[in-house]
Amino acid sequence: MTNTDFFKKASEYARKAGCDGCETFFAAGESFEVNANAGEIDRYSVSRDAGVSVRISFGGRQGYAYTERIDEPEKLVDRAIDNAKCIESDDPHPMQKKCAYQTIAPGKSALADKDEQARISLARRMEQAAMEADERVQRVVYCSVICEAGRVAIRNTNGLLAERSSDLSLIFVMPSVKDGEEVQTGIAFRMGADAADAEGCAREAVQDALDKLGGTPVASGTYRVLFKPFAFCDLMTAFAPMFSADEAQRGRSLLAGKEGQRIASEIVTLTDDPFDPVAPRAFDGEGTPCAPKSVIENGVLKTLLHNLKTAAKAGVKSTGNGSRRSAASTVGVAPAVFRIEPGGIPFDGMVKRLGNGLIVTELEGLHAGVDAVSGDFSLKAAGFLVENGVVVRPVSGVTAAGNFIELMKNVSALGSDLQYALPQNGYYAAPSVLVEKLTIAGN
Amino acid sequence: MIKESTAQAVLLEAQKSGADYAEIFLEDKESTQIEMLDGKVESANYTRSCGAGVRVLRGTQSAYAYCADIGEQALMETARAAAAALGEAKYSPSGEVTFAAKRYGTKMERPFDSIGNADRVALMREGALAAKGVSGELTQVMVRYIDVLQRVTIISTDGVFSFDERPRTRIFIQAIAMKDGEAQTGYHGPGCGLGFEAYKDRIDVAQAGRTAGNMAVTMLHAPECPAGFLPVVIDGGFGGVIFHEACGHSLEATAVGRDNSVFCGKLGMKIAADCVSAVDDGTLPGEWGSINIDDEGMPGQRNLLIENGVLKGYLIDKLGSRRMGMPATGSSRRQGYTFAPTSRMTNTFICEGGDDEEEMIASMGEGLYAKKMGGGSVNPPTGEFNFSVNEGYWVKNGKIVSPVRGATLIGKGSEILKKIDRVGPRMWMAPGMCGSLSGSVPTNVGQPRIRVSGITIGGKGGAIE
Repeated sequence: MTNTDFFKKASEYARKAGCDGCETFFAAGESFEVNANAGEIDRYSVSRDAGVSVRISFGGRQGYAYTERIDEPEKLVDRAIDNAKCIESDDPHPMQKKCAYQTIAPGKSALADKDEQARISLARRMEQAAMEADERVQRVVYCSVICEAGRVAIRNTNGLLAERSSDLSLIFVMPSVKDGEEVQTGIAFRMGADAADAEGCAREAVQDALDKLGGTPVASGTYRVLFKPFAFCDLMTAFAPMFSADEAQRGRSLLAGKEGQRIASEIVTLTDDPFDPVAPRAFDGEGTPCAPKSVIENGVLKTLLHNLKTAAKAGVKSTGNGSRRSAASTVGVAPAVFRIEPGGIPFDGMVKRLGNGLIVTELEGLHAGVDAVSGDFSLKAAGFLVENGVVVRPVSGVTAAGNFIELMKNVSALGSDLQYALPQNGYYAAPSVLVEKLTIAGN
Repeated sequence: MIKESTAQAVLLEAQKSGADYAEIFLEDKESTQIEMLDGKVESANYTRSCGAGVRVLRGTQSAYAYCADIGEQALMETARAAAAALGEAKYSPSGEVTFAAKRYGTKMERPFDSIGNADRVALMREGALAAKGVSGELTQVMVRYIDVLQRVTIISTDGVFSFDERPRTRIFIQAIAMKDGEAQTGYHGPGCGLGFEAYKDRIDVAQAGRTAGNMAVTMLHAPECPAGFLPVVIDGGFGGVIFHEACGHSLEATAVGRDNSVFCGKLGMKIAADCVSAVDDGTLPGEWGSINIDDEGMPGQRNLLIENGVLKGYLIDKLGSRRMGMPATGSSRRQGYTFAPTSRMTNTFICEGGDDEEEMIASMGEGLYAKKMGGGSVNPPTGEFNFSVNEGYWVKNGKIVSPVRGATLIGKGSEILKKIDRVGPRMWMAPGMCGSLSGSVPTNVGQPRIRVSGITIGGKGGAIE
């Protein structure tokens, strides 16, 4: 059954069953992944998938149902009605009205037009480049080439039709290096237009691993800390829920009601930019048109992120941040491309400005050691000790602990080296960020 | 779900590029998820995922293809895609597989399709009320409920033709306490591999609510945890996550079979203190991590991992078995048809020991009693781990003096195992979702209360007077 037919049948059936609105969210895609190990292809996966989620409004309350058997719209609508009937919350969740979208140039995807053999040889080349980059390279733990193509179509009884397609090209490699008894791993990736750069990616990953060799803890204390872009992106990813109006309205964000107030150092500007070339999109997960906006401007919180439901509750317009983690998920809130605007200082200059302190290159434990409700984090960290503006030695086996809100207030300089992290329910980008104080626990 | 003749044809097609093993995995999974906030149902969703994957092996090379369509034509195309990954389709495999058809399935007293949303919501409300009742400082209680029924058919050139029906359900209660711009959370999330009858005598929802509420309020009044290298007593239940992350993952064939584990080549060698024995047991009835059969069709089993400190076994799937030259252990698992299976844990725990639970705190001097662990992660090639402690208490002179918040434990798995110096007499488990190469699968972690003679405790570094 085509998704147009499915929508027609579902909405017709929903109307007869007494629903006051019906929406279908159709998602389909193809994916390709190959992993090279010791010159062989040891893991290879191709797929084709499709699924449809139905959202109905019944007596003003919404119910969802999702299936990958796209043949029984009536049964699915029945399930959704059943779910709507148990909703007790009185908050309305309007569906997007019919609207027009800006034409957005798709992001560049270096591997989209490459055939399987080219992608496989790219994986092999990347592994080989990593093995040859240094004699201390022991093996390559992961060496993957991933390509995904996806299509989304949202239709509803308000006359909405929103369609888009997207491509993802991604390569990543994780070599392990051994020096004496010590083993370290490094990681690097390339995506979008850069995804064919196997050699550059391999060299960067090996360097990342070598840099960690010989790391030891520092004495416990309060340090000035320079976060490298990826480490800061990790914190942003973990604390993005604080900026969600949904979390705020649920009493789960300390930023609730702080619009218009200073919440960060005045040099911090945080943009949510759905038009960023890394992953441009014209509309969000419920078909609302998107536009770039400042979330924090010169340290002042300008807006939280809204979908149609949170916007209706707050009496504002949706910011186009309605999100579906997957086609099977209900509508939530997430950033499109969350970007800390870079400053003018190159990384070397940032190290000089740090003077004495720590460079944090890596944070681990992000799915456990952070609490987006309190803003607290306590994470395993690795990086370098800097004395008098010079890198002295690698540091490992320490934890970095603090509070995200405090941290944002203590930002004193921003680098010019903006980088994009691997996407996780949205894209995140940051330059290197100098923070005046953070608690480090070592020995 | 699939005819035998179709299965034969698909397996033959999959072997056309020289595979010496082919396998079909068919899945039909239904799930209901409900979320309640402040005693009101906020959202309800039903999802049905349905599809098939075809995997082929040639030696230690593997290829996997999957499709959200289980029609015969789609299956043949999926088989061709998997075969193409191994090379040209220049072979013409022949010979029918002799199948041994088997039916497995967890018996359910109250299957999920026999209950309604009203039953689910009543249960959630009971948990929410119990949590909220703990203290006026609780500003928010969230309850999430999920039930899942996964039906799978696994067919392979080894003659496997097995059907399995796998129910599971879990309720997750989170409470938030706020005061003076500070917020702390507490939670409890019991789950079982059973039908809705799990809530009759295995899961006490009101108790779970109270546990969540108490934890949030206790942590709201807790000072920051001191930092340092000190003894740590870790409670049973989710405390077992330390073994799961720091050791369990490094015993999986995905790590061992590719020489990415600190435990490679250590069978029969001492890797832990004498008081440590550990198993991975997929056969425990109705447990969250239990399996009837694994995702290659092999029945679950009890695998001894460590006995009195000596490494006894690994967790091995079929591909790992080929890499390692050792038999498979009923450990092959996957989230669903969108993932190829690999070696995973089921219910993994440190076995009961003979040490007194009170004595191990009384004799520890100064240190941390980690009552409830949060999650953590480990880097298998290096064995370095990190865990958060969600409910901790500071111990001075062998006495608990204060709750503490914000502690993180870091170290190396291989070193911690040798530093365990007490193992209590009573083991219990707690459920979690474990993420790895083959997706997110339900696993139990567990242990008795144990003591580690020294771990690096990180945090904001408070001082306890």
